[in-house]
Amino acid sequence: MNFDLTKISSLLSYDPNDPLLFGSGLFLFLFFFLLLFYRLMANSRNGRILLLTFFSLYFYYKASGLFVLLLIFNAIINFYFGEWIYKSAKHNKKRIILILSIVFNLGVLGYFKYTNFFMQLVADIANSSYDLFDIILPIGISFYTFKSLSYIIDIYLDMIKPTEDFKSFALYVFFFPNILAGPIDRASKFLPQIQNEYIITRKDIAMGLMLIMMGLVKKIMIADYISLNFVDRVFESPLRFTGVENLLAVYGYTLQLYCDFSGYSDIAIGIALLLGFKLMENFNYPFKAKSIADFWRRWHISLSSWLLDYVFRPLQIKFRDRGVAGNVSAILITFVLIGLWHGASWAFIIWGLLHGIYMSIGLWVNKYKKSAYTKLKLSDTKLLGFGQIFVTFNLVTFSFVFFRADSFTNALNVLKQIFYFFKPEILIQFAEAYTPTLVLIIVGLALNFSPNSWMQKSVNIIESLPVAFQAALLTFVIWIVVQVQYADLQPFIYFKF
Amino acid sequence: MISQRLKIVICNELNLNPNLIDLYNNTEANEIPGWDSLNHANVIVAIEKNYELRFTGLEILKCKNIGDLQNLIELKIVKS
Repeated sequence: MNFDLTKISSLLSYDPNDPLLFGSGLFLFLFFFLLLFYRLMANSRNGRILLLTFFSLYFYYKASGLFVLLLIFNAIINFYFGEWIYKSAKHNKKRIILILSIVFNLGVLGYFKYTNFFMQLVADIANSSYDLFDIILPIGISFYTFKSLSYIIDIYLDMIKPTEDFKSFALYVFFFPNILAGPIDRASKFLPQIQNEYIITRKDIAMGLMLIMMGLVKKIMIADYISLNFVDRVFESPLRFTGVENLLAVYGYTLQLYCDFSGYSDIAIGIALLLGFKLMENFNYPFKAKSIADFWRRWHISLSSWLLDYVFRPLQIKFRDRGVAGNVSAILITFVLIGLWHGASWAFIIWGLLHGIYMSIGLWVNKYKKSAYTKLKLSDTKLLGFGQIFVTFNLVTFSFVFFRADSFTNALNVLKQIFYFFKPEILIQFAEAYTPTLVLIIVGLALNFSPNSWMQKSVNIIESLPVAFQAALLTFVIWIVVQVQYADLQPFIYFKF
Repeated sequence: MISQRLKIVICNELNLNPNLIDLYNNTEANEIPGWDSLNHANVIVAIEKNYELRFTGLEILKCKNIGDLQNLIELKIVKS
């Protein structure tokens, strides 16, 4: 027999341009074998933990090479920080260790993510020049740093006891389904699951398959297709397109981002479910939101709830005597941090600030709004609900112009075209030239408004199918997705955060 | 048990009818209509004013439910 040694070595080596993406053939192939071995080890908890740990480390190594050592270091040091806080008797000592651990975690994150941004800022203020450092961002660092921090802070707040088992904590940090781009699960929910028996019900399997299939469709059929065919081209040089095209690209990008990131989350949650783990929900029909506050309870929930618990609440309590102004200050700080979490750029800061401003205005006018609705007899009517959803969706879409554009100037160019060079007559030509893109944007957005019960009904149908049919369905969906796949699988947008 | 006094302070702040609301030790803030993350601080300030006491930030962050809050208030009253 002839083994192709180069293939094996490429399987084991790190290639920055070839991470193990969910949805790639190789990943699905390896995952199948992982599941097989995992089932065989159903009765040995330690065996399962070790198998998942090694697979996770391999998965992370394929995505970011030697940064896997930094990941292991993160797990070791945070495991001991947690224990240290818990065992310290004096409150002041607990506090000092907490501060030390936060400085360590945010210091490492900050070094990789923000060094160049702040050095540039200092240089700009001092009017001197600065040569950017060549710093590569370890993939997933924003996600796993926040996971570790939640463990430490929860121990400090007496919400959880530290685990005595390093293996379990390491698996929490390394867990491959959510290491690269979340959901940012909480230790309080995840650690107990490691101790559970490996039992998955037919319902879990049906749900897992449904999520994986939906994720693949969202990511490859919708997000990748509309970005490569249309959205990227417009944002590349907005001035070469009319306003109507820019507007469609902005709506298209909102849909693309949602399908890309929620598709990734769906696959992550589905894969974890097949391994017997329930991860945190990350999206809940965000475009059905009736206010910006509602939107943030439905969009990237694992990040927004993290910042709610560990940033917004403490600030809000600190500022509590200042009434609305106190709340507004806490909101603005939290949202600027949400922006900064995505990356060191003014565009993200403006994006976050915009959401903070939306929410602050909402808070200030809330009373007047409510009494106006009562006077106009609009309270709890369908018309009002529709109006609120429409306004919220457009405010969110507007903010994503800054999120997507490579520079502030580019974002302004997009808006300039929309407001001063609209040319609605182009729409007909556009519909002829870009029919699939336009259909995908409209159908994709419409699907977001489908009743929540559809999902459950589909899962019930899959559950009722014999295993052979389930496998056939999964194969069929993968086949369809591969057929429409326009180009190579595109990296998930949130990998760069 | 949640005291009548605490219940009335909370209900007044949230414009709720105390007769229609059941509060138990393990009731969490988000289960009470109107007690969301934005007016959380208002409820806390109302309690502090009514009982004439002052919580530290950490004490409040550690409360998981209304029962914890009730215990905290009693502890503070005994101490003062």
